[in-house]
This record gives sequence, structure tokens and C-alpha cells, in this order.
Amino acid sequence: MIELSNFLVLGALLFCLGVAGIFINRKNVILLLMCIELILLAVNINFIGFSAYLDDIAGQIFVFFILTVAAAEVAIGLAIVVVLFRSRGDINVAALDTMRG
Amino acid sequence: MEQVIFYLFAGVLLFAATMVISVRNPVYAALFLVLAFFNAAVLWVLVGAEFLGLALIVVYVGAVMVLFLFVLMMLDVNTAAMREGFTRYLPVGVVVAGLMLLQLIVVILSEQVDLIGGLIPEPSAEVDNVHAIGQVLYTAYVYPFEIAAVILLLAIVAAISLTMRRQRPNTQRQDVPKQLSVTKEQRLRLVQIDKKNRRHTSDT
Amino acid sequence: MSFETPDFSLALPEIWLLGAICVVLIVDLFVRGSRRSVTFFLTQAVLLVTAALAITTQWGVTETTFSGHYVVDPLAAMLKATLALLVVLALAYTRPYLEARGLLQGEVYLLALFATLGMLIIASGGSLLTLYLGLEMLSLSLYALVAYHRDSRQAAEAAMKYFVLGALASGILLYGMSMVYGGAASLELAVIAEAAASEEPPLLLLFGMSFMLVGVAFKLGAAPFHAWVPDVYQGAPTPVTLFISTAPKVAAVALFLRLLVDGLGPLHETLQPMLLILAAVSLLLGNLTAIMQTNLKRMLAYSGIAHAGFIVLALAAGTEAGHAAALFYVIAYGIMAAGAFGLIIVLSSAGTEAEQIADYRGLNERHPILAGVLLLLMISMTGIPGTIGFYAKYLVLKAAVEADLIAMAVLAVIAAVIGAFYYLRVLKVAYFDRPEVPPEGSQKPTGPNEGSVGEGEGATPSRPDGAAGTVLVPGASLPIRALLVVNGAAVLVLGIFPERLIALCQSVLGAG
Repeated sequence: MIELSNFLVLGALLFCLGVAGIFINRKNVILLLMCIELILLAVNINFIGFSAYLDDIAGQIFVFFILTVAAAEVAIGLAIVVVLFRSRGDINVAALDTMRG
Repeated sequence: MEQVIFYLFAGVLLFAATMVISVRNPVYAALFLVLAFFNAAVLWVLVGAEFLGLALIVVYVGAVMVLFLFVLMMLDVNTAAMREGFTRYLPVGVVVAGLMLLQLIVVILSEQVDLIGGLIPEPSAEVDNVHAIGQVLYTAYVYPFEIAAVILLLAIVAAISLTMRRQRPNTQRQDVPKQLSVTKEQRLRLVQIDKKNRRHTSDT
Repeated sequence: MSFETPDFSLALPEIWLLGAICVVLIVDLFVRGSRRSVTFFLTQAVLLVTAALAITTQWGVTETTFSGHYVVDPLAAMLKATLALLVVLALAYTRPYLEARGLLQGEVYLLALFATLGMLIIASGGSLLTLYLGLEMLSLSLYALVAYHRDSRQAAEAAMKYFVLGALASGILLYGMSMVYGGAASLELAVIAEAAASEEPPLLLLFGMSFMLVGVAFKLGAAPFHAWVPDVYQGAPTPVTLFISTAPKVAAVALFLRLLVDGLGPLHETLQPMLLILAAVSLLLGNLTAIMQTNLKRMLAYSGIAHAGFIVLALAAGTEAGHAAALFYVIAYGIMAAGAFGLIIVLSSAGTEAEQIADYRGLNERHPILAGVLLLLMISMTGIPGTIGFYAKYLVLKAAVEADLIAMAVLAVIAAVIGAFYYLRVLKVAYFDRPEVPPEGSQKPTGPNEGSVGEGEGATPSRPDGAAGTVLVPGASLPIRALLVVNGAAVLVLGIFPERLIALCQSVLGAG
């Protein structure tokens, strides 16, 4: 038997790792997208944990839709990365500074 | 027993996630993310969400991560310069994430939430997970299902319109009528092979 | 379990819009010619029919269908009609600008239609799931629209920042949703509201609520979750900026009303302090930073943050009057922002972006009508009586005072006075400064005759003005300029006769 709090703590840890990753990585946009995937994974783990705990299928259905939307999101995000690379020649986050103020 | 399996896979999952955000090479990061997804899938199956566990592997490992790797290879990013700012931003990241984690854990484990000792029931053998999802997905959840389909259509339109370039020379693309109207003279070249010398001479 | 067949006819506006999107998608493939007239007029017609359908089929009906995922009520009907009409207004400005830059492709209208569908879904979202999906449909379309100018470095950068921060905000929103689901054991807002109204609401609900608020504040562009706003407003092609600052803002308010009022309304007491902090930070930061801007688009972005502060203040009041004030404010802001960015579009021509405030020097001498529109828009954003902006601010302050938020109301007034400074500075530049040669490198000088090339209408009075380095020549044709004048007039007319719109906003939120 697994405790629900185990699942939630695991979700919280992954969520914080994802957020920390976004702060740490300033050089590569694709790594930022991967950190966002980690955050979504944390959310999914939460939903699955609650769904199993409450014995309610709705949480699993939500995860199904998060997976679908995340795939669409990644497709558009990587398309933007490609556009960025074509117009600048690199994908360095720290250098995104043509606009200031 | 389940406890042990949970801690084992959760441990590997957290290790893989840590590597994703700290490893130097983005290709390794992508591969560690794959590892993280596999472990998460095992944990989901452990609590009875078999369909989603498999979907995670099929959709994420099979499609999303391949897309990541594809773009990483296509863009040919300079990986050496990739982590320059790493140590500079490390303290900020650790402090922010650490504080957040502290709050999250305090709330999750607080008495009020009443989750301590809340055990996840064993998945019952009678209820088929795929069956249960399929039963509601096209009935009670038909509206979200249709919206999700539209989002996928939107992603197709958006990704193509952003990356496809019109009227640009030297781009490779498939031209079906041209392929169909090809004749054998355009594709086939007959060569004479000299049997004795094992050398061939072109007929042109 | 029992399953009721959903009443598809209730969702007619969405079904119509989705069908029409597919038709536009296919029709656009066969459209020849660079002006995309067929796609453009088809899109506008589709949106007008959507607005009409929302009013005729959903006004006065209060029902839920699709197993609780879809809610129809007067609020939904009014929001949908407003959203569709604002999109019509926003798209009406797009054509000449995009055409002059070779960006006029059918996908722009298609993505705008997808965004509209997402907003409609938010307007009648009855569960966490539909609200999330609607929000994602809106956001994904907007990311793609911002990146649409593929050869512009600024646009690509803006899109990247918008995407990363937007995806992060969605992740935080989702984390909150997962907690709320755990607390209420349901995704349906009606069930969540019951759980929240119980004697001792689960702590998980409160916890999830604060995470969801972060996500909503991001979409609304309220500080301190505003990091994307200035860059996106400045970097995106101006018609896209115009689009983002109108209907999606209304959708963000709709998201708040559904998620945090319909769903977690009973927990407002816990939510209020957080909202007040958001409002105070937005008002001060937006107004103070806007003063320092030299780029008009960026200035309007910071002013948008300040306006978001007013909207959040109205929502913080927590009363029906407060919600109605927020709705009225965001509609008023949409009309004003459409006019302001519309003016930038009209004054930009093929080679010139009328972005710098210094470019507006002497506008009154050259184009008195456009300067008049600028005057109206700026005094309306300031909140001077006689314009729609005044009533918007008045209603918010009234709701705040009635909810005993007097200190915040005073702060809002002070912030509005600070705001008056930079709006009036733009007017000073337009009315009293002489056009002169701008300092080196600030903008490429474009001859007035170059700018009007390609406009077959011949309606552009390109007055040769040799003295100025940057002469803003309206690149837009007569219909667009007429639209701008009508837009400016609407700010005035609605400012003199606001009662109907105010009454409408109040009636749909039960504040009659």
C-alpha cells in the first residue's frame, strides 16, 4: 500500500526541480521546454495520486488531456525555437535582449 | 513490497529529473527525461492507471522526446557554451525552489490536509482501467475530447505556418505530380559490365 | 453510471465557429491573390454570426449540459458576443499593415479564429478541464501569432519569452487545479463551489486557489506576473499586439469569474489579500515604469499593466458590483487599446513603424483628425469625465469603497494621477512639439512618397514635408482610417451614454 502523501511529495519535488531548472538554465531554450515537461509530469503525478486515492476516474481523464495538450504545446514551442534559431543563429536565453526598458 | 517498488522508482525518477536540469549536454538531458518518464509510468501502473502509464510511454517517449531530439540535432547548437551561466544562477534557483518545496511539503503533510496515512486503495482486479476510461471518454467527456482534437488541429496549423517557408529556393520538398510523371529514362541508367575485368563502363 | 445525451443545440456558437474554422481553412487554400479578401471577409462574417448566435440562442437561458462541462447563462452569452465583436474590431485593423510587410496570409485569420474559439470555451466553461483546454487553445494561438513575423528578431524573441513564461504559468495553474481536484474530489465547478462553501473548507482548496490565481494573474498581465507584457507588446507585429490587448484580456476576466468566483467564490476572504497585493503592485509598477518609456507600444504595455491593476482591484471587492465593474472596465480597455494600437497601425507605413513617441511630434499639424482621435484615446485612458475610461475607473472605485477598501481606492486614484502624466505627455508631443530631425539612429527616415506606394485607393494625402526626418504618413487606406475615427468616437459616445453597457454588465452578474 502506498500513501497518498508519498505521491504528493514526489509531485512537489518534481515541480520544484522543474521550477529550479527554469531559473538555472539561461543558455538553451530547449532545456527550458524540458523543465516545463517536468512541471507537467509533477502535475500528472498529483492527479493520478488523487484519482487513485479518491477512486474517481476524472483525475485520470484530466491527465489524458494534459498529455494531449502538452504534445501540442511542445510542437508549437519547438516551432518557435526553430523560428528563433533561423532569425538569430542561436537559442541562448540570456541573449534575448533586443528589447529593454 | 509496493512501498519498496515505489521508493525505488521514485528515487530513480528524482535522480533523472535532477540530471535533466543539471547535465551539460542537452541530448543527455533529453535522454534523462525519457528515463524520468519511464519511471513515472511505472509508478502510475502501480496505482492502477495502466492506460495512462502506457500512453505516457507511447506519446512522450515515442513522439514528444523524439521531436525534442530531432530539433536538438537539426539546430546543431553549440553545447560547449551551453552551461556558462549555470553556477551564476544556481544559488537563486536553489533558494527559490527550496523555499517553494518547503511550503509545499508543509501544506501537504500538515494535519489539516488529513492525508497522512491516507492509503491509496489497491486497484481492484474487477475494474479494467482501459474500460473505465473508455466508458466516460466518449460520453461524459465528449466536449473536452472534441476541444482536445481542435487543439491538435491548431498545433498542426500553427507549427506548419511557423516553420514552412514558401517561395524559397533550395528547399527540399515532395512534389507528387512530378514523382508520378517520372519516366524510366529519367531514373534508370543501363551500364555495360565487363565480366572479365569486373569493371563497368558507363554507356554515356 | 447514468449518462445523459448532451444538448448539442445549446453549444451552437462553438459548434458553428468550429465548423466555420474548417471551412475557412479549406477555402483559404484556394484563394488567389495577395489581399486575401475572401478569407478576411469570410472570417469577419463568421465572427459576426457567432456573436448573433450567442445572443439569440443563449441570452436568458441558464443551463448546463455535456455532463456539467458546459455552462450557459447570461454572462456566457454576453461574454461571447463581446469577445466575437472585439475580435471583429481587432481584425479589421490588420489587413493594410500585414499586406505592406508581406505577412498577409490566411493563417493569421485562422489562428485568430482558433483563439476566439478558445475564448468562447472559457466563457462557458463549467469544469476545470474545459477551462484549462479553452485557455490552452487561446494561448497556443497567441504564441503562434506573436511569432508570425518570422524574419523579425524581436518577434521571435517576444514569442519565445511569451511561450516559456506562458507554459510555466499554465503549469502553475494546473498544479493548483490538481490540488483543488484533490480537495473537492471533482472537476466540476458547481461541486467545487459546494466543497468551498462548507463549514471548514479543505486546506487543499485554499492551497490550490493561490496557485490558480498566479496562472490567472499571468494571463491578465497583472504585476508581479507581468514580465512577458512589455516585450510581447513591443516585439509582436502591431496588429497582433492589438489583438492580444483586446479580447484575450476579456477572456482572462472571464476565466477569473468562472474559476475563482463560480468555483471558489466562497473562499473570497482568503483570496482578497492576495488580490489587493496584485492590484497595488500592478498600479504602482505599471504607472511608474510607463513614465520612463520612449516607445509608444511599450508605454501602452505598462499602461496595460496599470489597467490590469484596476481590474484586479474591482475583482478584489468581491461583490457583484465589483465583478460588473471589472467586466465593464475590461471591455472599455479593449475598445481604448484597439484605438490606440489602431492609430499606430494607421500611422505606420511599409518602411516605418510609428513606435517612438518622438515620431508623433507635430501630428496635429499634419493630421488633425488622427491627432483628435489620439486626444480622445489618451484622455479616456487617463479617466477624464466624458469618456468611457472615466466611467470604468469610477465604477471600480465605487465598488472598492463599498467593499471597505478605501485605502486601496485612494492608492488607485494616486496611481491614476501619475498615469495622467505620461498620457498627457504623448498629447503634448503631438500637439505642441515641432517636428524636427530625430537624433541619429533612432529611426530610419522614410520619404513620405515611399510610404504611400502600394495603396491604390489614393486616399492618402501624403503631404510632402521636407523639414522632418521622420514623417509619419498614414499607410492605411480610407476605410481603416474611418474605422479608427469611429473607434475614437465610440470612446466618446460610450463615455457620454454609458448606462446601457453598465446596466448590461450589472445584469449578467446579478448586480442589477
